[in-house]
Amino acid sequence: MLCQICKKKEATITFTKIVGGQKTEIHLCKDCASTFSDKFSIFPLPQFDINDLLADLLNAIDLYHKEEGVLPGKKVECSNCHLTYDEFKRCGKLGCSVCYHDFREQLTPLLRRLHGNSEHVGKIPRQSKGKLNKIRKIKQLRRELQELVLKEEYEKAAKTRDEILKLEGVLKKKNAK
Amino acid sequence: MQNKDKNIILQNLKESTAEWTSGQGPLSDIVISSRIRLARNIEGVPFSPRAEQAELENIFELSRQVVEEGSLFKDSNLLLLDELTPLESQFLVEKHLISIYHAREKRLYRGCIFNQKETLSIMINEEDHFRIQYLLSGLQLNNVWKLINEIDNEIEKKATYAFSEKEGYLTSCPTNVGTGMRASIMLHLPALAMVNGINDILKAISKIGYVVRGFYGEGTEVMGNLFQVSNQITLGFSEEEIIDNLEKVNQQIISKEQKVRKELLSNSKSQLEDQAWRAYGILSSVRIISSAEAMELLSKLRFGVGLGIIPHPSLGTINKLMLLIQPAYLQMLAGKDLDSFNRDLQRAVLIRNEISI
Repeated sequence: MLCQICKKKEATITFTKIVGGQKTEIHLCKDCASTFSDKFSIFPLPQFDINDLLADLLNAIDLYHKEEGVLPGKKVECSNCHLTYDEFKRCGKLGCSVCYHDFREQLTPLLRRLHGNSEHVGKIPRQSKGKLNKIRKIKQLRRELQELVLKEEYEKAAKTRDEILKLEGVLKKKNAK
Repeated sequence: MQNKDKNIILQNLKESTAEWTSGQGPLSDIVISSRIRLARNIEGVPFSPRAEQAELENIFELSRQVVEEGSLFKDSNLLLLDELTPLESQFLVEKHLISIYHAREKRLYRGCIFNQKETLSIMINEEDHFRIQYLLSGLQLNNVWKLINEIDNEIEKKATYAFSEKEGYLTSCPTNVGTGMRASIMLHLPALAMVNGINDILKAISKIGYVVRGFYGEGTEVMGNLFQVSNQITLGFSEEEIIDNLEKVNQQIISKEQKVRKELLSNSKSQLEDQAWRAYGILSSVRIISSAEAMELLSKLRFGVGLGIIPHPSLGTINKLMLLIQPAYLQMLAGKDLDSFNRDLQRAVLIRNEISI
C-alpha cells in the first residue's frame, strides 16, 4: 500500500486513532510518519480535530466518486488561481474564492461530511447582492474567453477580455472604496 | 489609529493589561474569557497563502485604510509583522493577539491590528486575509458577537468580502467556510482535573462537534488546567445558533465543575485549603521557577481564590500573571534576551512582586 500523505513511497507504519469508539487507520511511509507524529506530539488531548481528518475524508469521497463514476479521471483545476484538485487534496487549503465554484462537485460532499450541511444560513454581507452577479458574469466570460482562444477567434477574444477587465475594474474599485 | 511607531506601540503593549484578563465577567471563577473569531477574505484576491506579493501588499494597505478611517478603530494600532523580531512576534502570541502560525509564517505583509483594551485583534494575511477576533472576560459570548459584528460591518464599508450564496463566507480552509466563525470559551477546570473528569467530558463533547484546545489555541498544550472549548461546525447554522449551542455545552461543563467543587469543599476542605495556601506560600517566596511549575501553582491558587478559601490576590491578578510569566513576555519586560535560567529568576521576581500584599 502507498503512503496516504505523499502517495509515493510504500506505507510501512500504521497510525490507529480511536475517537469515541470509532477507529481510523492511517497508513504512512517512514518520512511522512515522523512529520505526522511530530504534529501529534503537540496534541496532548485525545481530541477530535477536523483538520487531521480532512485528508482521510477527501480520499474517501474521491473513492466514492470513482466508484460512482462521477469523476471519469478528468483533471480538475481552478479557472482563476489554477490550483488543481490534487493539490488541494494534499494541502487541504483552497487557493481562492473561485475554487469553491470550480470544485463544487467535489466540495459539496466534503462540506456535508465536515459540517453536516452544505448550505450557508448565517450572516450575508450587505454589498454582496449586486456584486455577486458581476462575479458570476466574469466567471462566465473567462470560460468563453478560453473557448474563443482555442477556436483562434482572437478578435472576439480580445473583446471578451476587455469586458472582463472592465468588470474586474468595477469590482476592484468597490474593493478599494 | 493611535501610533505609527512600532517601538512605541510595543512599549505600550508591554505596560497594558488586556481587559479580558480582568476576572470581572459572569462566572469568572470558572470562565476566563469568551472569544469569537471571524475568517474573512477579499473578493477577487487569492487567499493569502497563494497570493502574489503585490496582492498581499494591497490587502495590508486596505487594512491600513480601515484602521486610519474607520470610526471604530480610533484607539487601534497596526503592526507589520515583517518588521518585528521573532521575540516580538512571540510576545504578540503570548498576548493572544495573533496565532502561533501567524507569528512563524514567512509570508510578507502579515499584519496585526489591535485596540487599546486588547479586546479586538485582526490578523492580516494569516491563512485568510482577515481574521477578526474579539475577546471579553467571563461568559458573555452574545456581547462578543454584538461587538465583533459591528467591527465586521465597519470593515465591510471599505472591502468586498468573498462570499457565495451557497457556501457563505469563503475561506482558505473548508473547515471554516459558511459563517467563518469560531466561538470559544476558555475555562479553568481544576476540580474536574482533580477527580480525573476531564477526559470523559472531552470525549463526550467531541462527539457532538466541539473541540477542546489548550491555552494558546490550536495545537498547543494544556497548562494550568485551562481549556478552550469551541465549535467545529461553521456551515449550515446561523451565528446565533452556533453561540447558543456553544453556551449550552459550556453551561453543562461549568455545572459539572461547580458540582465537583461543591463536593470537594464539603468532603475535603482541609486538603483544598492546604493546596491553595501551599501554592500561595511557594509563589510568594519563590526565587527560581519554570513556567510549567508557575502555571500549575497559579492554577491551584486560582482555584483557592475562586472557592473563597484564600482572599488574595484577585482573579484578575492571577489571570494577568498567567500571561506575564510566559517566556517572550518576560524578555520583553526585561528589555533583553534571557536564557532559560535567567527567565526562571526573572519570573520568580515578577510573581513575588505581583502577589505580595
